[in-house]
Amino acid sequence: MSRLRGFSPILAAGLLAAAIPLIGGIALIGIAAAQEVAVSDLRDGVPPTEEAAPPPIFNEINDDKRRARNYPEQPPVIPHNIRDYPITLNANKCLTCHTREFTAQSQAPMISITHFMDRDSQILATVTPRRYFCTQCHVTQADAPDLVENQFMPIEEILRAFREQDGEEPNP
Amino acid sequence: MIGRLWHWGWGLVRDIWFVLRRPSVHFSLGFLTIGGFLAGIVFWGGFNTALEVTNTERFCISCHEMRDNVYEELKTTIHFTNRSGVRATCPDCHVPHNWTDKIARKMQASKEVWGKIFGTISTRDKFLDKRRELAEHEWARLKANDSLECRNCHDFEYMDFTRQNARAAEAHSTYLAAGEKTCIDCHKGIAHQLPDMQGVPGWDAVHSFYMEVPNNSAGDRLQRLARALRETPPANASTMSD
Amino acid sequence: MPESGSLKLTRRQVIKAKAAAIAAGVAGIPVAEAANGIIPGDEARLDWSKAPCRFCGTGCGVMVAVRDNRVVATHGDIHAEVNRGLNCVKGYFLSKIMYGADRLTQPLLRMKDGKYAKDGEFTPVTWEQAFDEMAVQWKRVLKEKGPTAVGMFGSGQWTVWEGYAALKLMKAGFRSNNIDPNARHCMASAVGGFMRTFGMDEPMGCYDDIEVADAFVLWGSNMAEMHPILWTRVADRRLSAAHVKVCVMSTFEHRSFDLADIPMVFAPQTDLAILNFIAHHIISTNRVNRAFVDAHTSFRRGATDIGYGLRPEHPREAAAANADKANDSEPMTFEEFAAFVAEYDVDKVAELSGVPKERLIELAELYADPGIKVVSFWTMGFNQHTRGVWANNMIYNIHLLTGKIAEPGNSPFSLTGQPSACGTAREVGTFSHRLPADMVVTNPEHRKHAEEIWQVPAGTIPEKPGYHAVLQNRMLKDGKLNAYWVQVNNNMQAGPNMNEEGWPGYRNPDNFIVVSDAYPTVTALAADLILPTAMWVEKEGAYGNAERRTHFWHQLVTAPGESRSDLWQIMEFSTRFTMEDVWPADFLDANPAFKGKSLFDVLFGNGSVNKYPVSDIEEGYANHESEYFGFYVQKGLFEEYAGFGRGHAHDLAPFDTYHQVRGLRWPVVDGKETRWRYREGYDPYVEAGRSVQFYGYKDKRALIFALPYEPAAESPDAEYDMWLSTGRVLEHWHSGSMTRRVPELNRAVPNALCYMHPDDAKARNVRRGEEVRVISRRGEIRVRVETRGRNKPPRGLVFVPWFDEGRLINKVTLDATDPISKQTDFKKCAVRIEKVTS
Repeated sequence: MSRLRGFSPILAAGLLAAAIPLIGGIALIGIAAAQEVAVSDLRDGVPPTEEAAPPPIFNEINDDKRRARNYPEQPPVIPHNIRDYPITLNANKCLTCHTREFTAQSQAPMISITHFMDRDSQILATVTPRRYFCTQCHVTQADAPDLVENQFMPIEEILRAFREQDGEEPNP
Repeated sequence: MIGRLWHWGWGLVRDIWFVLRRPSVHFSLGFLTIGGFLAGIVFWGGFNTALEVTNTERFCISCHEMRDNVYEELKTTIHFTNRSGVRATCPDCHVPHNWTDKIARKMQASKEVWGKIFGTISTRDKFLDKRRELAEHEWARLKANDSLECRNCHDFEYMDFTRQNARAAEAHSTYLAAGEKTCIDCHKGIAHQLPDMQGVPGWDAVHSFYMEVPNNSAGDRLQRLARALRETPPANASTMSD
Repeated sequence: MPESGSLKLTRRQVIKAKAAAIAAGVAGIPVAEAANGIIPGDEARLDWSKAPCRFCGTGCGVMVAVRDNRVVATHGDIHAEVNRGLNCVKGYFLSKIMYGADRLTQPLLRMKDGKYAKDGEFTPVTWEQAFDEMAVQWKRVLKEKGPTAVGMFGSGQWTVWEGYAALKLMKAGFRSNNIDPNARHCMASAVGGFMRTFGMDEPMGCYDDIEVADAFVLWGSNMAEMHPILWTRVADRRLSAAHVKVCVMSTFEHRSFDLADIPMVFAPQTDLAILNFIAHHIISTNRVNRAFVDAHTSFRRGATDIGYGLRPEHPREAAAANADKANDSEPMTFEEFAAFVAEYDVDKVAELSGVPKERLIELAELYADPGIKVVSFWTMGFNQHTRGVWANNMIYNIHLLTGKIAEPGNSPFSLTGQPSACGTAREVGTFSHRLPADMVVTNPEHRKHAEEIWQVPAGTIPEKPGYHAVLQNRMLKDGKLNAYWVQVNNNMQAGPNMNEEGWPGYRNPDNFIVVSDAYPTVTALAADLILPTAMWVEKEGAYGNAERRTHFWHQLVTAPGESRSDLWQIMEFSTRFTMEDVWPADFLDANPAFKGKSLFDVLFGNGSVNKYPVSDIEEGYANHESEYFGFYVQKGLFEEYAGFGRGHAHDLAPFDTYHQVRGLRWPVVDGKETRWRYREGYDPYVEAGRSVQFYGYKDKRALIFALPYEPAAESPDAEYDMWLSTGRVLEHWHSGSMTRRVPELNRAVPNALCYMHPDDAKARNVRRGEEVRVISRRGEIRVRVETRGRNKPPRGLVFVPWFDEGRLINKVTLDATDPISKQTDFKKCAVRIEKVTS
């Protein structure tokens, strides 16, 4: 099977055109010629029938810095290493810092009030067992490059866009 | 019968003592001194060598109880595999390094030999049942000696806080520096899996709370809430409506 | 209506232009002019609407906030019964899945010198051009080879009406049964198990079982990662009630083991022996519920040595005695059954499985003890199994022997992988052998019934089942399937044995391959024509989850560029055909009323589908397909489809009801949903005074099957010395085409790794992070080793997840299937691991 040219990494001229700042590692390269191959892939242009060296195992970010959330309902990511932190029937390492009682000592963010609510929205004395497994929602972040830029816009940016637009007010 | 045995034993001791207190007839004093010294070395060396054999990881994991449980768990942890390849072997953490404590620990270990013979932790389930007790021994020992075996490698004096992450530097420069906490207070379960931590200070705020409660009906929840309010300072008592 | 205010669509263009400008980098401008940081109330308003989550079969409800035609936030719906306000990490990031910068926005056709060429470059074309070429190809193939040479591969992620429209297009329109969903890879063995044991598909219980059970047994299911929200309910129950026990069984240790009271790692394939041991234990300790068994069950001896669903010429297949009658069985007595399972005593099974005897007995007691209410959960560990239907039958055996079934807390529960594996693939019946409401093409009565509802001539639907998923790839390769349309799935990455079957099939010059997708997946890039597709809340939809819950959502935003929903694509494509193009002349001569009509008119302009006006659409919501075709497309399709199940124990509520509620569990009779089927007092189809009726079979009895342990299709040997199991991870959905485009999820788990035991790594002189080749008889991939990750395989087994487009593990897997369900065993094949030294 001859290598398909379709896998060469080229971006459609018309694809969300004007402004896609491309991030390292993404197999998207703008090309002027219209009527040409128009698709990216997440294989860095390596045809599916061939094999390339895998990227290294990336380290977890461990800088303890808070990241802005995309919207208030988003669970914050974990800005530190959690290697060998047990969350088992026997023990929960996360709660030894993040539970209300221990936050003065640890200076870690306290688990939020929603984490005290049972299935019937009643507030319990402490973390609700349905939220016991922290890593179902909270994940660490590796220092890996983005594969593709994400163009999600937080609400503030949308509002800002309207204010920029000739002083036009957002729709009521 | 007992009297005769005593009589025989005492006679034997008396005879030996008699031989020992007689001056040498055939050997020179020099020979005896040097020979005795050499024999001492051989004997002492043998003892120590034997002792040291029991102080190797290889010896520890020659028992399947150690190999299949604690050693298996150790393999994935940072004390086994890490950046610099400096790894902790079983005795590094579990056998005191100074001689007196070591001998004391070895005498304690006779109980473990007993356990081995009678299969106290011969299966995974038996081991898990015992894990809390075994862990508590080690926590108590390390608490009592101010985490001596940790400090054999991790010496507070030489910690570079700028190379630690912010959380670690903060804790080490305050609680550890002031002597308020010792290593084992925070670093439990770093090389092996933890037992049920119910009741362990710093761990059970959440955990034990639910584990004892037989049911989660509204009544039980109320009870639980009531008990919690008794035991801990009242949290935000309001309820959140959806 | 959205929950606060109406949705305005007037400023799409503004916001689109602005989106680009913002992306170009105007960050840093103050958020609001108000100095106090408060945005005035009106301006801060968000429009919230309900939707089901886009990902797994749990079927969580989410609330979606829209502002100016953009999704700006999502969170768990506190009113949704399933999840009561919770989401897993994927669900919390739903807001971002539609906004990957490389969304496909126009059709792309491989072209050379201005026209289609198999070896051409992808070139943007209009929808007109795309459908023109597609229609030419379909007509050519239909003319040359007939309906068995056209096919479609769909999905458990199709909405209910998309699946229904596709089914009609294929089975009534093109008169081809070559339509199958990717649910074949996922749920087919569960379906096979249900149909064989109960004569009726889908679970009798529901998630409400969780809150009243005393014990949970996970058979080959890593719920902690694959069904995280159900796992929160199990964890809630386990941690709230001290007597509750959780048993987790797998061929390697994974995150669900963190909650296990009874953890159990068993040798691959020996789950079959463990199941028979439990049956034996129940019988030998005299704990059979004889009253229940006598009243509600009968016993069957199933055919054995049934092969492995490989190509017929494969030596393992040729050697199987009963490959052609895998589904056969004959009656037997209880005593004969007892004698059959007596062979599986604890000593034998402990040795075979590698599980200590005490553990096996502890597990068996959860079932045998009449005082314990037990829920069994399973997913791919059972279903992706060359004896998957057997495993399903055998778990029902032990629930039936003890009568622990179809009542609160006693529940054998088959979990589903996809959001609408039940709702679309199974209930609509988008399989090569099925029709809606559990009917099959091989049954003349069923075909007749479907033809009547569809208002097409008797004999329209072919009798012979079409090509199932794995067979489709084989037929593509063999040049017998030539015009092929793939929607909402990524089968080049997901299907087994890509090197020998999938890739050669798609790139076979005889074939024209069309792939509809939102993103340029491996499958899309292997196609000849790519159709850009609207996703999730860019269209009105309906999904059905694992507990029979049908759940609707509205179109909340418009799809980018020229992308269109699968439904629009199916319906619009049908306008390109006259009946003369698709039906043979003699068939039309016999049914002259159809002459001259378009395929669209016959399928969708039939007075039933086009019955409801656009004005029926709830105020405040757009609906692209309906605006385009001029009638309420979704409502018409749904109501016609619902006609199959109403009165046949698959009753669905009226269309409009579903837009008002957080889903309802069918059968919905007199406005009331059914939580436990087959049980009097819960299920309206059980006759009064009968307490339990398994009414799937005419005699209202369920079947207990005597089935043996048989080995896997391929086991490790001297040359290929390790087991390979594949699977998912929590943070990525299936092949990762959506979740890997969300930066937070990508950074959570950036790449697939080869999880292996540290001793196995050491023996091969590799360490964590080093590169190895995972090599099978079929292919190899290069991947890095993980020896201390969340999955902890025993010695002799490696686990490689399949979400990573860069690490296509299905080059390595074997296309062995369960011979009854045709579902691939992705959990077992033999590989060897070699260090890469450069």
